[in-house]
Amino acid sequence: MNTLRVNGVTVARGAGPVIRDVSLELVPGRITALVGPNGAGKTSLLEAISGVLPIASGSVHIGPHDLTRQSRVGRFRRGLAHIEQGRAVFGGLTVLENLRLTARTGEQVDQVLALFPELAKRADSPAALLSGGEQQMVVLARAFAANPAFLLIDEMSLGLAPVVFTRLLPVVSRFAAEGAAILLVEQFTHLALGIAQDAVVVSSGRVTHQGPAPDLLASPATLHTAYLGESR
Amino acid sequence: MLQGALAGLAAGGLYAVLAVCLTLMSRLVRVVNFAQAATGMVGSYLAVWLVVHTGLPEWAATLGGILLGAGLSAGLGWIVCTWLAETDTGTRSAVTAAVLLLLISLSFILFGNKPQPFRPVLAGPAFQVGGVVVSQVTVATVGLAVLVALACRLLLGRTAVGVRLRALSERPTTAELLGIPAKPLSIAVWAGTGLVATLAISVVAPSQSNDPTSLAMLVVPASAAALLGGFRRLDLAVGGGLVLGVVEGAVAQSDHLSLVRYFLPLLFIVALLLWSQRKEVWDAAR
Repeated sequence: MNTLRVNGVTVARGAGPVIRDVSLELVPGRITALVGPNGAGKTSLLEAISGVLPIASGSVHIGPHDLTRQSRVGRFRRGLAHIEQGRAVFGGLTVLENLRLTARTGEQVDQVLALFPELAKRADSPAALLSGGEQQMVVLARAFAANPAFLLIDEMSLGLAPVVFTRLLPVVSRFAAEGAAILLVEQFTHLALGIAQDAVVVSSGRVTHQGPAPDLLASPATLHTAYLGESR
Repeated sequence: MLQGALAGLAAGGLYAVLAVCLTLMSRLVRVVNFAQAATGMVGSYLAVWLVVHTGLPEWAATLGGILLGAGLSAGLGWIVCTWLAETDTGTRSAVTAAVLLLLISLSFILFGNKPQPFRPVLAGPAFQVGGVVVSQVTVATVGLAVLVALACRLLLGRTAVGVRLRALSERPTTAELLGIPAKPLSIAVWAGTGLVATLAISVVAPSQSNDPTSLAMLVVPASAAALLGGFRRLDLAVGGGLVLGVVEGAVAQSDHLSLVRYFLPLLFIVALLLWSQRKEVWDAAR
């Protein structure tokens, strides 16, 4: 069973490093919540793992395969998918066209549409005309259709009503239960920790806490300390 | 006047083909390719050189020239995709303006600054309309413009590759994160437009001013035509090219106005830019 390992990764952006010496491991079937204050470097870490940002030092491996110098397409082919912040739909494409970008068969399209029946009704609509919640469903469905072994999700709740977001969380849990490893960055810390098995807190570009998510959820003092950047 | 307008249709067809190429480049790879006609010029010049200096059959030389045009364009695309992948449209387009000047200079060095002894790929009348002759070149260029626009419409709307290209043009990073190979697809677009542009120039060059600058600067009327479609719509790009060619041809018939035809594309561009900005509030337009 392959895992995704981030080993001592440092990422520089602009003037200096925004991520310093971060290590973590994503295990199939488990959700890891990556939380921390704004500007802690969560998005930069995800972008470094998927190849959007170059890694200054350290490495990213899936099983025996070193992804550190691989292209974004190469990492995708190794089973890594990245859902970016801000509902990254292709607005000029219909819902079906969005899904067919990653689905290999019509059956895969049907499977993801079954997860989001709302989308089936609007399959031929341009994605730009959908509501914010529906667009986020398209983005999730498109990623699921690729059947990735490792999925990075960045701020899925951004700009969505809480009721819409809570509709999406169980679908993410179910995808993990089917065997995917998920790294979930989320501003709603308690909701993210509520569905995660593992937790990583980053502050000022460093990991300040790593451990079981339920323990962190049950210990607000630990979470508070980690947010302030004090390692435990 | 009608004879002049129909004569202008051949040039209009060429403008339309180049406008379609410019529109595709702008939509799919986010570049206004100022070197679009220049790559075609170099390719068609090579064809002439091959015929004159190697005795190659004309069809083979023309094919070689077209392939060189496609290759040159693909090479430029490779450079842009490799080193300017994350830059904005302005920067990428500025690079093609530099390449335009480079190719004009290069053609002066390699081929001289005189018109080349092109041999017509097509010659003679195709048919007559009301006693006015329509040439084979006119039919070929107009047909090519319409054919390329229709083929591109079908490709982008009905095929998996087309959908991928549209995704790539909207959000290149997201497309790559979904496994869409941005670089090969983009280079294919560069090569395809280079091929079509060289083909069109090879057909029309024997029947019009064919010194390096005249051919390379065909990008100006082509840009005017593409601007009519906002560098987005292929049908308006074709229409714009044909209308511009017809108007130029008609104006050329008048002794008093014939010089104006050289400025028509620029007037067309200025008029379109002013029209497109007519509802802009000053602060927002800046």
